[in-house]
Amino acid sequence: MTDDSPERRLDELLAGYAADLPEPPDADRLVRAVLTRSALAGLPDERPAPGRRHLRYLAALLVAEARLFRVAVPVASALVMALGVVVVTLGTGTGTAAEVLTLIAPIVAAAGVAGAYRSRNEPFAELVDTTPTSPRVLLLVRLTLVLGYDLALALAASAVLAVTAADGDGAAGLDVLVASWLGPMALLSAVSLLAAVRFGPDVALGAAVAVWAVRVSAGTAVLGDGWLARLVLEVWTTSPAVLAASAVAGLLAVAVAGTPGPWGREPGTGRGATHPV
Amino acid sequence: MPGAGSDDDAVLLRAVAGGDAAALSRLYERHAGRLFGYLYRLAGDRMTAEEILQDTMLAVWRSAGRYEGRSTVPTWLFGVARRQAHNRLRTRPSPEPFHDPPDLADAGPGPDELAIAAAGGTPVAAAVDRLPEHHRDVVALVFVAGLPLADVAEVLGIPVGTVKSRLFHARAAVAAELVAQEVSE
Repeated sequence: MTDDSPERRLDELLAGYAADLPEPPDADRLVRAVLTRSALAGLPDERPAPGRRHLRYLAALLVAEARLFRVAVPVASALVMALGVVVVTLGTGTGTAAEVLTLIAPIVAAAGVAGAYRSRNEPFAELVDTTPTSPRVLLLVRLTLVLGYDLALALAASAVLAVTAADGDGAAGLDVLVASWLGPMALLSAVSLLAAVRFGPDVALGAAVAVWAVRVSAGTAVLGDGWLARLVLEVWTTSPAVLAASAVAGLLAVAVAGTPGPWGREPGTGRGATHPV
Repeated sequence: MPGAGSDDDAVLLRAVAGGDAAALSRLYERHAGRLFGYLYRLAGDRMTAEEILQDTMLAVWRSAGRYEGRSTVPTWLFGVARRQAHNRLRTRPSPEPFHDPPDLADAGPGPDELAIAAAGGTPVAAAVDRLPEHHRDVVALVFVAGLPLADVAEVLGIPVGTVKSRLFHARAAVAAELVAQEVSE
């Protein structure tokens, strides 16, 4: 006995809906296409977790930025620092280890920081502008490189002097040596960076040298030993207030980086602009 | 599809996760007919269905390692296929509207015949093609993919009761459409 109910008939018709379908593509052809597409697109599932990806990205940025630095800058920094170590080690009577490091380390770092801000008139600035990384991130990366390098240099010099000058007149522990330059280095670098983002690297270097000249003269007959000299010496020490002020100035500099300078243009673009942006 | 076939599928999928292209080929051969039929019914044309099928197998190749065995392999495959179809078909432009239809007698096929031809050449296919998308999806998974209602519910992420309800309404709509076609003839 056959079931000729409408439901049965409808089921048969719907079953026909599944019939008369075209043949699927050949397995070899399809798998080959899939493997090709996979190879061309990479393997997103094998990418590291977001945290590791960010670290890799940061590392890649550091390497890329390091390649853009002129070799002369780190070499000059190392030579100046080495000269200071030699002077103290040979005991030429120009001062203690702490005094020499205090004078050298901050200006070396500030000079490097002055050049860390990249103005738009640099040859590769236009190319860098096309990258998705923001100028502030690039500035932070360059600061990390410059300050990290100068910090390592100063620490190495301090360690060497803490060992080699241990028996001399200017002997001091590593902590004392580091404290002698850490605050001044932070403050002078912040001043240099602030000047660089507003007025360009040349003005920043000049400002850093000028400010540091005042600090150096505080211990000499130029400023004498009056209240002004004492104030200058007090400012250029390692203290929480100095470190905090340095951090604030540094953050301010990063915040204003990329904004138009005091004359309505990027710092360092005073000459040769044919199409002001 | 429980049983030995299901075990084989799971073994194949583990091999795919390990980068075995031959296992991918075997897995494809086992399910190609139903997968392609399902995608063909969703897409409406062979070329688009082939593209979605390729997207699906690419997704399987890349994410086989994420299969945890909580559903059967066919259910998982159809879930992947449905997602890929949704991704590709949602960006498809809607058909061009008619402009200035010619006011002339035409000896060619009428709208119904064109709809039937576009939907696979049968009145049933044309009727299913006129269903709302969520009803068409259930019909394709039940009748073309041949999945049990529980698996359809899993693929669509809805309760089995909702699948039954959609299927009931889809069948009623198809029956009404077929009756209307017979009356008009």
